[in-house]
Amino acid sequence: MEVPPAFDYDLPAQDPFWFRECFLMTMPLGRKAVNLRELLQALREVDTAVLHFHLLQSRLAVTQPVVEYPNDFALWAASALQDVKLAEKLSSFDPLEYEDLEQVRQAMVDILEDYLWDLPSVPWARPGFEFHFCKASMVVIRTETPARTLRDFCLHMGKVGLDSVYYHFFEARRRHGHRQVDDFSFWIENNFGLPELVRAIRDIDLYFYTLKEVRDTLLQLILEHLGEICGYPE
Amino acid sequence: MVTLNDYAPIVGPEVIAQLQRLAERLGPRRFVHINSTRTGGGVAEILSRAVPLLNQMGLNTVWEVIQGDPEFFEITKAFHNALQGHDIRLTPAQLRHYEEVNRENARKFSWEADFVLVHDPQPAWLIHVMRPQVRYWIWRCHIDVSRPNLKVWKYLREIVAKYDASVFSMAQFAQNLPHPQYLIRPSIDPLSEKNRELTPEEIQKVLDRLGIERDRPIVLQVSRFDSFKDPVGVIQAFRMVRKHVPCKLILAGGEATDDPEGPRIFAEVMEAAQGEPDIQVLLLPPDAHHEVNALQRAADIIVQKSTREGFGLTVTEAMWKGKPVIGGAVGGIVLQIRDYHTGFLVHSPEGCAFRIRYLLHRPEMAKRMGRLAREFVRQHFLITRNIRDYLTLLTLVENPGSLSIEL
Repeated sequence: MEVPPAFDYDLPAQDPFWFRECFLMTMPLGRKAVNLRELLQALREVDTAVLHFHLLQSRLAVTQPVVEYPNDFALWAASALQDVKLAEKLSSFDPLEYEDLEQVRQAMVDILEDYLWDLPSVPWARPGFEFHFCKASMVVIRTETPARTLRDFCLHMGKVGLDSVYYHFFEARRRHGHRQVDDFSFWIENNFGLPELVRAIRDIDLYFYTLKEVRDTLLQLILEHLGEICGYPE
Repeated sequence: MVTLNDYAPIVGPEVIAQLQRLAERLGPRRFVHINSTRTGGGVAEILSRAVPLLNQMGLNTVWEVIQGDPEFFEITKAFHNALQGHDIRLTPAQLRHYEEVNRENARKFSWEADFVLVHDPQPAWLIHVMRPQVRYWIWRCHIDVSRPNLKVWKYLREIVAKYDASVFSMAQFAQNLPHPQYLIRPSIDPLSEKNRELTPEEIQKVLDRLGIERDRPIVLQVSRFDSFKDPVGVIQAFRMVRKHVPCKLILAGGEATDDPEGPRIFAEVMEAAQGEPDIQVLLLPPDAHHEVNALQRAADIIVQKSTREGFGLTVTEAMWKGKPVIGGAVGGIVLQIRDYHTGFLVHSPEGCAFRIRYLLHRPEMAKRMGRLAREFVRQHFLITRNIRDYLTLLTLVENPGSLSIEL
């Protein structure tokens, strides 16, 4: 394990890290799908912001205490269509494997087309469980005090809200234009090097964790690679 | 007076600090809420607490209530029912009366504001007269408009289309409108008289006063006496349960000043409950928050067997008190309850009866569900989250067309 013995956790970074908080507002479109064919058709037509919401952003909206499925489409297949096979397929679909949302759209369309092709009839949602399409708008604010050292960063990390974790891990990928790069590993790499820690952060199986698990995992990785500099997840 | 910091032990100090930062970035604004009643119903309850809190955060926030005669409230109740799907026709004279009452109210409102949040259809027409007095108009719909009566919705849509944005409680209530639509879940106030912690003595005192003995498990439904809450269906379910398990049913209903249908439904419920000593029907005044709190805390199982529901704040209240809830699979209840985790969703009196029996026979399961339910409410449905949504909404409405704004 890489723990530079002389590593100074209080070494000031060249660029301090500004944690950002994000406030998500869901925006329903007033469009729904009552069966799988309608879902497929809508996925071909809607703005990519809608896919972004249902695959990623919705984890900041209302989430049940037990995460069974990592995105809204898989959850809908299971609970509304009561089609567990489809739910399994959609659960294994990871939008973070694609470079942009148009590719994500095409991949989703391919999955649903293939699935529908082999079905004798179109599965319908039970009444009251139709799929309602949404997108979201976000207000982002920068926190007042930046993290200037790794120790600072670690202390902040334990306290920031899950919205912040979402912003720096998930939204970051769009900003950096690279599907593997999050704000945290980007900052650590550019200011301190620490290639093993950077690689480990980028290897976190992000899509299958809740936001709380993502934060705990990051803190655990810092603990493992750098030792106890700021406490660790409970 | 309750301050924002009083919520810190419940939601965490970081949530409070976050709200303060968001309010600071938004800056001073004049924000008006308008609805049609000061008492009764979830809207009035949340406004009574949210308005002072918003003021504490530096937003100059005012709550106005429109006045109307009984005919006006008959008409707006018909609006309400039609928007929830009832086949109701409104005559041109009724629509003229609705508009005239709004016009009269507008004459009394001389204030100006940056934002106005107009709650439900009653005051919606004010925009026709008051548009220049307010920079941004937002319509807040608390009603289940997933399948509205088309004629009534067409009339209301003409009005709502003039707004800058609208807000619904559930995605399925969103409509085809020419402006941005947002989603804000309603919320409850954990420090209000209806939700604060009570001592066992306080609970017992209320039960003694209401003449309720705790000799058998208590099944409770708290809701207005409204046909959409299906109190008669709850009685049917209870009769099925009683054949197998001893228990008692309490139906406790508040009255709202804007609901002229209450007395008729109450009479129907009394008739259905006749001859059954284990059913107690309580007609509570709109300010009986302490009594409702005690009843919910005393209950073993809480039912909300609605057939239409905007959101179902009584479900949220019950979940916050750590109770397992059996709810009709409609509107916002579907969002709050997940089978076997935070409660049960049902579709019929039979389903309701089955789940009551299930939970009566499995008290450990009921306890676990209650614990999960309380945490779920803490995360998503407390007033602090509602305040955050208001602040975010105002920021977004000021910056239309942008999906991400950095302040």
